[in-house]
Amino acid sequence: MNYESIVFLLSASILISAFYVQGQRYIISMIRGQLVQSLLIAGTTFLLSYLNHSIDLLILGLLLLFLRGVLITYLLETKVPRRKSYVFEEGVNVPYLFLVDLIFIVVAVFIIYSIIFSSLVPVSQPGTSSTLLFPLLLFFQGLFLITSRRSTFSQIIGYVEEENSLVLFAIFLLPVPIVIEASVFLDVLALVVISSVITVEKFSHERMEELRG
Amino acid sequence: MLTLILETVSQFLFVLLSAPLFAGIFGKFKARIESRKGPSIFQPYYDIIKLLKKETLVPSGSSILFRYVPYAAFGVYCLIALIIPVLLPVPIIFTASADFLGGAILFSLAAFLKMAAAMDSGSNIAAMGVSRLASFNFLGEGALITVFIAVSLITATDNPYTTNAYLVSNPSANITLVHVFATLAFFMIFLYETGKIPLESAGLQELGMIDESLNYEYSGRLLAMNKWSGYIKQYLLGSVLLNVFLIPWGLYSTYPYFLLDIPVMFGKWLLLIFIVMVIETTLAKVRLFKILDYLAVAFTFSILFLLLSEVMH
Repeated sequence: MNYESIVFLLSASILISAFYVQGQRYIISMIRGQLVQSLLIAGTTFLLSYLNHSIDLLILGLLLLFLRGVLITYLLETKVPRRKSYVFEEGVNVPYLFLVDLIFIVVAVFIIYSIIFSSLVPVSQPGTSSTLLFPLLLFFQGLFLITSRRSTFSQIIGYVEEENSLVLFAIFLLPVPIVIEASVFLDVLALVVISSVITVEKFSHERMEELRG
Repeated sequence: MLTLILETVSQFLFVLLSAPLFAGIFGKFKARIESRKGPSIFQPYYDIIKLLKKETLVPSGSSILFRYVPYAAFGVYCLIALIIPVLLPVPIIFTASADFLGGAILFSLAAFLKMAAAMDSGSNIAAMGVSRLASFNFLGEGALITVFIAVSLITATDNPYTTNAYLVSNPSANITLVHVFATLAFFMIFLYETGKIPLESAGLQELGMIDESLNYEYSGRLLAMNKWSGYIKQYLLGSVLLNVFLIPWGLYSTYPYFLLDIPVMFGKWLLLIFIVMVIETTLAKVRLFKILDYLAVAFTFSILFLLLSEVMH
C-alpha cells in the first residue's frame, strides 16, 4: 500500500478541518472541528510511528489522543454557556474569511514554502518535503482564526490549532524528543485551564478593552 | 476527413437536440419522486416549439442588445459544444479553436452577455436578478476557471481531450486528491450554474430566483432561444463533469462505433440525474445570502487543490 498518499490524504483532511473551523459560527461546532483535527493528527502520528517503528511517536499519538481529543475538548465544552448548540458568534462573514484565508495560504506557499521549506528533507518521510506544507498552512489558519474572531473560545481554538501545526511539523520533519512534546502539551493544557477561567468571566473580547487600566 | 465531418456534425446535433430531453427526464423523475404525474419528458421541446410560434414583445426603451443577445448567447454555447468532449473523446473540427480555459471563459462571456441584455430591458425584477448574479458569479465563475486550471495541471496541458485520454489510460489518476477535490468543486459549481435546489428554486414566482429573473422580460422566440441555451448549458456542464471529472471511461472514437457514444452518454446522464435528484429531493433550499458561503467553499476547494497540485509536482 502507498503510505505516502495516505499521509497526504490525512494532511489534506487536517487542512479541510481547519477550514471547517474557520467557517463555523457555532462554538460547539468549532470545538468539535478541533476535536476532529486533533484526532486526524493523532492518526497521522500512529501511522508514522508504525512506518518508522518509533515508540516516541506512539506515545506522542496516545498523548494527542487523550490530551487534545478528550481533555481539551471536554474542558472547552463544559465552559460553553447553557443551551450549548445555540451559542454562536455574530458577524462571521464566511466568504470574506475564506478569501483572506486563501490569501494567507498563497503567501505561505509561494513565499515561505518555496524559498525555505522546499529544501528541507524530512527524516520521518524521506523524499517528501511537500508534506511540510500542511503544518505551515495550518499554522497560518490558526493565526488567522485568532485575529479574525472576538470570542474567547475561537481564540483558544486558534491557539490549539497553532500548537497542532507545530506538532504536525515536528512529526513530519524529524521525531523530536518526547520531553519537548510533553512540554508543548502541558503548555496547551495550562493555557486551556487558564483561559477556561477567563471564559467564565468574559465570553468575547472587544478591540481595545484589554488596554484600559 | 469525411469521418471528421460526420463526427463534428453528430456531436453538434446531439448536443443541440438532446439537451432539452435531459431537462425533461429530470423534470419527470422529480415529479415521480414527489408523487406527481409530472409533465412528459418531451415537455421542454413542446415549450420551445410553442414559444417559437408566439409573438415576441420587446420592452420600449430597450436597445439592440436586448434583441440579439439571446442569439449571441446561443451561438456561444454552440461553439462550446464543439470544443469540449461532450460526446466524442477525440478532437473534432473546431476543437483547436479554444482549450479548457477558453471554454470556461466562453461560459463567462455568455453569462455576461445575458446579464447585460437583462439590464438593458429596464425591468426592476431583471435588475434585481442581475445584481444577485453579479454578486454570486464573482466566486462562481472564478471557481469554474480555477477548477479547469486545476484539472489541466494533472496532465500539464489545457486540452480537455488529453485530460480525458489520460484519465482513461491511468485509472489511479482518478483517485488522486487533486482530481477528487476538483471534481467535488466542479460538482458544486454545476449545481449552482444549473440552478438546482439547495441554491436556487426555479419558477417565475420565486423570491429566491437568480437565473430565471434574467428571462423575465423575454417572450416568444427570444425566450425560446434563452430557454434552449439554458438546456444546452446544463448539458455541456454536466457532460464535462461526466467525461472529464467523474466517469471518463466508455466513450468510443473510431468510425462507426462513435455512434455508440450516444447511448453511453444517455446512461451517464441518467446516473448524474439520479445523483442530482437525490440532492434536490433531500435538501432544503438555502437562504439567498448563504449561497455566497457555498460558493466560497467551492472556490476555496478549487484554489486549495490548484496550489497543492502545483506543489506536489
